[in-house]
Amino acid sequence: MNARIISANLVVKLRSFYREKTTMFFTFAFPIVLILVFGTIFMSQDNVEYHLCVQDLDQTKSSAQAVKALELNGKFKITRIDPGVNAAQYVMDNKVNLVLVIPKGYEGLLMQRMVFNDFNASITITYIYDPSSSSVATKKDILNSVLAGINQRMSGQPPFVRSAEKSILAKKYRFIEFFVPGIIAMSIMTLSLFGTVNLNTELRQKGIIRKLATTPITNTDWILSNVLYHFILAIISTIAMLLVSHAVFDVSLHIDAWLIVFVLLDVFAFVGTGMILTRFVKEAQSAAAAANAISYPIMFLSGSFFPIELMPGFLQKIATTLPLYYVNEGLRASMVFEDNMSALRSSAIVGVYAAVVFILGILATKWEEGQ
Amino acid sequence: MTKETEFAIEIDRLTKRYGDLPAVDDISFKVSKGEMFAFLGPNGAGKTTTVEIIETIRPPTSGKVTLFGMDVTKKKHDIVRRIGVLPQGFSSFDRITVRETVQYYSRLFSIKTDIDGLIELVNLGDKAKEQYRNLSGGLKQRLGIAIALVNDPEVVFLDEPTTGLDPRARREVWEVLLGLKKKGKTVFLTTHYMEEAELLADRVAIISKGKVIAMGSPWELIESNANYMVLTLQSVDDKVFEIIRKTGFEPFLDNHKDIKVRVKHTYDVQKILNAIKDAGALYLSLDVRKPNLEEVFLKLTGEALREVQPEMESE
Repeated sequence: MNARIISANLVVKLRSFYREKTTMFFTFAFPIVLILVFGTIFMSQDNVEYHLCVQDLDQTKSSAQAVKALELNGKFKITRIDPGVNAAQYVMDNKVNLVLVIPKGYEGLLMQRMVFNDFNASITITYIYDPSSSSVATKKDILNSVLAGINQRMSGQPPFVRSAEKSILAKKYRFIEFFVPGIIAMSIMTLSLFGTVNLNTELRQKGIIRKLATTPITNTDWILSNVLYHFILAIISTIAMLLVSHAVFDVSLHIDAWLIVFVLLDVFAFVGTGMILTRFVKEAQSAAAAANAISYPIMFLSGSFFPIELMPGFLQKIATTLPLYYVNEGLRASMVFEDNMSALRSSAIVGVYAAVVFILGILATKWEEGQ
Repeated sequence: MTKETEFAIEIDRLTKRYGDLPAVDDISFKVSKGEMFAFLGPNGAGKTTTVEIIETIRPPTSGKVTLFGMDVTKKKHDIVRRIGVLPQGFSSFDRITVRETVQYYSRLFSIKTDIDGLIELVNLGDKAKEQYRNLSGGLKQRLGIAIALVNDPEVVFLDEPTTGLDPRARREVWEVLLGLKKKGKTVFLTTHYMEEAELLADRVAIISKGKVIAMGSPWELIESNANYMVLTLQSVDDKVFEIIRKTGFEPFLDNHKDIKVRVKHTYDVQKILNAIKDAGALYLSLDVRKPNLEEVFLKLTGEALREVQPEMESE
């Protein structure tokens, strides 16, 4: 290992990157755009209001009160539809996904139950819905819980089972706070993997690798300079993501030395993977395809975008074999839960993976031409 | 401990195969220290494969190659510090300036280099702050030569240094190469331009289909293989070719459809011209000259040394 050679490579790479303004812009813009897009989606989910169409066939004071109660629940923006229209046709014609129908006789049956204590009196509220719409299930769940509340109150008895919520965290976190560490981990992976594969195949195609083969540079010098270069870009990118998420969404995460450790391990792991891939990819066009083929499954399976609990069991098992999963876990452990033991465990696993691919990357790197 | 020899390069029965195909077929030769040695042959003859084996980039299939007495397959680390290489189709980092490029390669060798002196040596002083991507083909090659010299190498390998360059740029590169010769560097020049080898080289090895078919100084090769003169006639008269043939000579047409005749003596020229005059035929111009290496190659292999290069012909 020669520090002078490593620093020479680093300077050339950083200069080239700085002078290639378009590449520089997109390198930093991509993760920031992800933060802004997903942040906006998640922030609006915290105060989501669903559109609900209600058809009141009873047209009485009691049925109007029931509709008002739904409105006051805060989850729904109510549109009242004419009792004379066909609700199913209305769903199809107006691209709404659910109409709640209050039947005729609602007030009479309500009186029977409330005034005359006739416990056989009951009413059926109908949901007419489009099953192809993804938000219908959520709407039905909310409506069912509202109806369950009404039934419970009408029974006049206090509930037997109650629920209480207690967060394991001292501070109340929103989903975006869990999401940002995942995006940091994923962005560093793509930056390191694509950067390494693209840069090395391009240099090989241009014949620069052949020229470097006649200099004293070693595989270790070359890969270490790649790691340092991507580490610097990753740190800048991470700072940009944290600043943007703080400025726009008021995200504040715990930052300590673990952040640096995980950024470095993420870079080591995926620069090493990129060097191994470069050994088998000869053309620049196939380099991007190969990097995509590796990064996309890892990106979606590792829990960067959504928790792996949402995936089928066998995919969860696969996820726990992926290095990015442990970078995600480690970053969340340190930045959200402030759990040093968990961060240490994750860093050890990523560290072993990074060391193995780094060594394999050194072995796979070839300066010489075909045997 | 490796024993230094009087030769910079020694190649003994070198063979390189790709599958069953021999790219280099059992070749042997030596290059003395301080010599400018040209490896001349058409595209695909095995020149670059041979030179890349010597440069430690490719492993040989069999045979032995030594530089300063060191085996190239075992002493890569020591050898690369003593050689300078301009690879075929040299390229560098697009957005790095001339000065930064020379500085970068100098740092790879971990030595102190007179960066500005090197840039001046290849006449790139006024382009020192220009990025590589903005340089013309000739300037890029000159930069390539400069970085081949950053470690003050004892042997410089230049693989097709003027291919694709216009005549002016080629002459500028030749001037730089003549400067290296004056400095006493051992230069291993790979080319398919016979005038380049003839002008620059102390010795030439001609390679064809992986085999060295002739070796010596340009003068020796011409004397021993082409001891005749070539009469060239540019004619518009179709009869001229037949008239020459009837006088007992064997004319042939070159790439430009000019008539060429190999003659031993000057009176043979007179005899041919008299026959044309007597037959009342016409020609536009004539030229009599000693043959060159291209003639030698043609005689030895029956093939033209160089294909017509459209980009060159247009300039």
